[in-house]
Amino acid sequence: MSRSQYILKKFGWALLTIALVLILNFFLFRVLPGDPARAGVHDPRLKKESIEAIRVRYGLDKPVINCFETLNPVKVGSCSVNPLDTQFFIYMKNLLSGELGISYHNNRPVATILAERLWNTILLIGAGQILSIIVGAFFGMLAAWKARTSIDYGALATSLVVWSLPTFWLGIILLFWGSANGLPIGGKATPGLSSYPLWEQWKDIGRHMILPTLTYTLVYMGEYMLIMRSSLLDVLSEDYILTAKAKGLGIFQILRDHALKNAMLPLVTIIAINLGFTVAGAVQIETVFSWPGLGGAVFEAVNRRDFPVLQGAFLLITVTVILANLIADLMYSYLDPRIQAE
Amino acid sequence: MEILTQKNAAPPSSNYLLEFWRKFQRNRMGLVGLGMLTAIILVAVFAPLIAPHVPGSSLTIGVSDIYKPPSAEHLFGTDDAGADVFSNFIHGARVSLTVGFFAAFISIFIGGLLGIVAGFFGGRVENFIMRFTDVMLVIPELPLMVVIIALTKPSLLNIIFVIGLLGWTTTARMVRSQTLAVKSRKFVLRARAIGSGKAHIIRRHILPLVMPILVVQAVLVVSLAVLNESTLSFLGLGDPTTLSWGQMLNYAFGRGAMSTGAWWALVFPGFGIVWVVLGLTLLGQGLEQVFNPRLDTHHLMPGRPVVTSEAGVKPVKPGTLLDVQNLSINYVTEGKPPARAVENISFTLKEGELLGLVGESGCGKTTLMLALLRLLPSAGQIVGGKVFFSGRDLTALGEEEMNEVRWSGISIVFQGAMNALNPVRTVGDQIAEAIIQHVPTFPRDKISARVTELLDLVGIAADHKDHFPHQYSGGMRQRAMIAMALACNPQVIIADEPTTALDVMIQAQILELLDELRRKLGLAVVFVTHDLGIVAEMCDHVLVMYGGVTAEYADVDIIYNEPRHPYTQELLKAFPDLTKPKKKLSSIPGYPPRLDALPAGCRFAPRCPAAFERCHIEEPALHRIGANGHLASCHLIAEKR
Repeated sequence: MSRSQYILKKFGWALLTIALVLILNFFLFRVLPGDPARAGVHDPRLKKESIEAIRVRYGLDKPVINCFETLNPVKVGSCSVNPLDTQFFIYMKNLLSGELGISYHNNRPVATILAERLWNTILLIGAGQILSIIVGAFFGMLAAWKARTSIDYGALATSLVVWSLPTFWLGIILLFWGSANGLPIGGKATPGLSSYPLWEQWKDIGRHMILPTLTYTLVYMGEYMLIMRSSLLDVLSEDYILTAKAKGLGIFQILRDHALKNAMLPLVTIIAINLGFTVAGAVQIETVFSWPGLGGAVFEAVNRRDFPVLQGAFLLITVTVILANLIADLMYSYLDPRIQAE
Repeated sequence: MEILTQKNAAPPSSNYLLEFWRKFQRNRMGLVGLGMLTAIILVAVFAPLIAPHVPGSSLTIGVSDIYKPPSAEHLFGTDDAGADVFSNFIHGARVSLTVGFFAAFISIFIGGLLGIVAGFFGGRVENFIMRFTDVMLVIPELPLMVVIIALTKPSLLNIIFVIGLLGWTTTARMVRSQTLAVKSRKFVLRARAIGSGKAHIIRRHILPLVMPILVVQAVLVVSLAVLNESTLSFLGLGDPTTLSWGQMLNYAFGRGAMSTGAWWALVFPGFGIVWVVLGLTLLGQGLEQVFNPRLDTHHLMPGRPVVTSEAGVKPVKPGTLLDVQNLSINYVTEGKPPARAVENISFTLKEGELLGLVGESGCGKTTLMLALLRLLPSAGQIVGGKVFFSGRDLTALGEEEMNEVRWSGISIVFQGAMNALNPVRTVGDQIAEAIIQHVPTFPRDKISARVTELLDLVGIAADHKDHFPHQYSGGMRQRAMIAMALACNPQVIIADEPTTALDVMIQAQILELLDELRRKLGLAVVFVTHDLGIVAEMCDHVLVMYGGVTAEYADVDIIYNEPRHPYTQELLKAFPDLTKPKKKLSSIPGYPPRLDALPAGCRFAPRCPAAFERCHIEEPALHRIGANGHLASCHLIAEKR
C-alpha cells in the first residue's frame, strides 16, 4: 500500500468514526430514560406552560427526526416534516457551527465552558503522557537490555503493581502526601495571582501540576514499561541485531542505531490505542485534584444532571481522541518505511 | 500473540488439564496471584462470619463514633457515618467481585463469540465485525460508561451490563487472530475436508485452542471490570444501596475524610481494590507464561566467559590465516547438564582458501562459526581450544578488541538474509555504517561512491542503494549482505548457508560471485552448507561435521574419491552424481542426535550401516590417514590397520 493511500484510508476511517459518534451522541441523550426533556418534567414547580417554554428553549418541541415525533418507535410521526426542521438536523447544524447548546446549570454556552477546559486537560494529559512515556520507555529498555537480572525483575514487579493501582486512589494517597509537604492540593492556580508577572503565574500553575502529573505518570508508566520491554526484547532477538554485533558495533551503538527506532514502533501504536484509556485517567485525576479540565467537567455535569455539558464534553473528548489516534497513525507511517510511497 | 507452540498440535486431550496444572504449579507469579484471589473470594463468601459488625446497623452510634481512628474495636477505624470500616471492607469485597465477575462474563462471551465468528467465517462478516470493533476501541470507554449510567438508573445491574457490554473489544481482536491461526492447522483443515459441520468444528477443534487466550483475557477483563466499577462508584455513579469499595471511597472523599485527616477511611478500601487487581494481574501473567513460555534472551546479553587452557597449543604455521585448535562449545542451561554442541574441532584456513563445512542441520556448524567471532548466544560457552587469527588469540580478546576484528578481519554472511538487514534503514546506509565503524579515516564524501562500488560488485544497480530491505528480492538481499561483508576488505568471510531458501538460478549466481571475489580479492572463505554439489565444485578442503564432532577432514578430492568415514560415504550417496545418472539415491535414515541426549560411543553409531559393538561403547579417536592431512574419526580405520 502506498503512503498516500494509507493516509487517505486513515482519514476516511477517522471521519466515519466521528460521524458515528455524532449520531450516537444524539440518540444516546434522547433514547435513554434521563433525556433532557423529561429531566425538567419531574419538577413540581413547573406548570405545563413553563415546561412547554423550556422545551421550546432547548429545541425539544421539534420532531426528533423524519417519521419520528419522539423516539418511541410505535408512535410514528409525520414523514413529510421539513427535514431542516428536525432536532437531528438542528443538532448537526449547530455542531458544525461549533454550537453545543446551553448549560442547564449556569446558562452559559457549553462551547465556551468546554473550550477553556479542553486546554487544561490537554496540558495535564500532555505533561503526564510525555513523562510516563519517557520514564516507562527508559525503564522498559533497561529491563529488556538487562533481561533476567534483578533490575529486570524489579522493573517488572513495579510495573505490575502500579498497573493495579486505581488512578483516583493513588491520587488521594498522593494528595495526603502532598498536603503534608506543602504542595497545593487542588485547582490550577492560586487565586489572586493575576496581577503577578507572567512567569510567577506559570510557576504557580507548575506547582499545581506536580501532584496530578505525578499520579498520571505513575499510573501509566507501568504499561509503557512492559510494552517497551517486550518490544525491545523482540527486536534484540532479531537477526539484524546479530548482524550489527558481527559488524563490530558497540552495545550502545546497536541500541541507538538499530534497536530503538524499531522498538518504538509498537509503542506508538499502543500510545494511540491508549489515548481512550488515558482520558479515563484524566476524569479521575481532575476529580481528585479539582483540576478545571474536561474530565472534571464530566464529573460536575453528572452530579448536576447538566446534560448539555455532559453531552458536549463526551463529544469533545471522543473527537479529540479520534483525532489524536489519527495523528499517531500518520506518525507511524513516517516512522515505518514499510508504509512507503512506491 | 500466538499461544500454541506446535504447528500441527492435535486438539488437547483429557489429561491436558493435569499437564497444565503441573506446569502452573511451578510458576511462582501465577501461584501468588491465585492465592491472593482465593483469599479475597473466601473473605467475600464468608463475609457475614468474618465481619465483626453488621453494615448499616447504627443503633449504638454517637457523635464520637464518626471518623474514629483504628483501634482494637475498629480495626480499620470508622467512617463518616460512624460505621466500622473493617466490616464495610469485608462486605465491599462481595459487591466488587460480583460486579467484576459478572461484567467480565458478559464481555468475554461477546468478545469470544465475535472473535471466533470473525476469524472462522472471514470475508464480509469478519470485515464488518472488525470495523465495528475498531470504532468501539477508539471511543473512550469510561466517559461513555459515565454518560450511559448518568442517563439511566445507577443500579448494580446497570453497572454490570454497561461495563460488560463495553469491555469486549480487545478480547474480540485477540480471539479473532488466534482463530485465524488455528483455522489453517492441519487437523482443522482435515475436519473441514471430511465435511464436518461448522458448529462441530468450532466446538471440537477451534474452541479448545482458543481457550488459553480466552482464559488469560478473562482474568484481565475481570481486573478491568473491578477497576471500572470502583471508578464509577467513586465518581458518584455507583448503586447507592450497596457499599462497594469505590462507593466507600466516594463517601469518605466527599464527606470530609481528607480534611479530618481520616486516612483510614480512604486507604483501606483502596487496598481491597489493589489486592484484587494485583492478584488477577499476577495470575494473568502467570497463565500467560505457562501457555506461552518466552525465553527472554537476546543478542546483546553478555556471553559466558571463555574457558581455555594453554596446554597442548600448537604454534601457528606461517601462511595460515585462521587456525582453530580443539575448539569445544557447550550450551549451558540452569538445572541441566551442559549440552556438548561442538567438541574438539580443529581446522586451518590459508589465504585464498575455500573451506567447505558440511553436515546435516543440527550438527553444530553454525555454533562453530558464531564461536569464531565470539557471537554465541548467551547460553553458549567456549569451554576449550583456541582460535588464532593473523597471530592473535581470539579466545583471549576483550569485547572491544573483538569488535575491531569483527567485520574488518572476519565478516559473516548469515543464513537467510531475510531478517539480517535492519528493516527501517536503507541498505546503503547499513553498508556505509560498517565502513565508518572500521575505517574512521575514510573520507566521508567518498563513502557513497564506495557503497555504490560494493553494490556494483555484487550486481546491484546504484539506484537501489537508498532502498529499504523490503524493497529488495530475497536474492538481492543476500547479495547486499555479501556486499556488506566485503565493505571493510576482510581477510576471511564466513558464508553460513548463504543460498538456502533461494531458487537455483540465484544460488548459482551467488556462488559464482563468491568464487570470483575469492580469486580477485584473495579472500579466504568458510562455506557452510549441506549441499555436497557446491562443495565439489568450489572448495579446496572439506570438514564434515556430525553431532558436533569432526567426522572427516581432508582435501576435496579425497573426500569425493576415498571417503573413509561412513557418514561421508552416506552423505555422498544421498547426492546425485551427473556422471552416474542411473545410480540410485539413498537417504540416511534417522536424524542427528539431540545435543542433550548424545549416544554413548560414536555419535553416528545409531545410524551407521557399518557400526559394530565397539562403536556403541567407545568414542572413536581422530585418526590420521596418509601424509596429506586426511583425518577421520571412525573405529573402522583403527580396526583395518
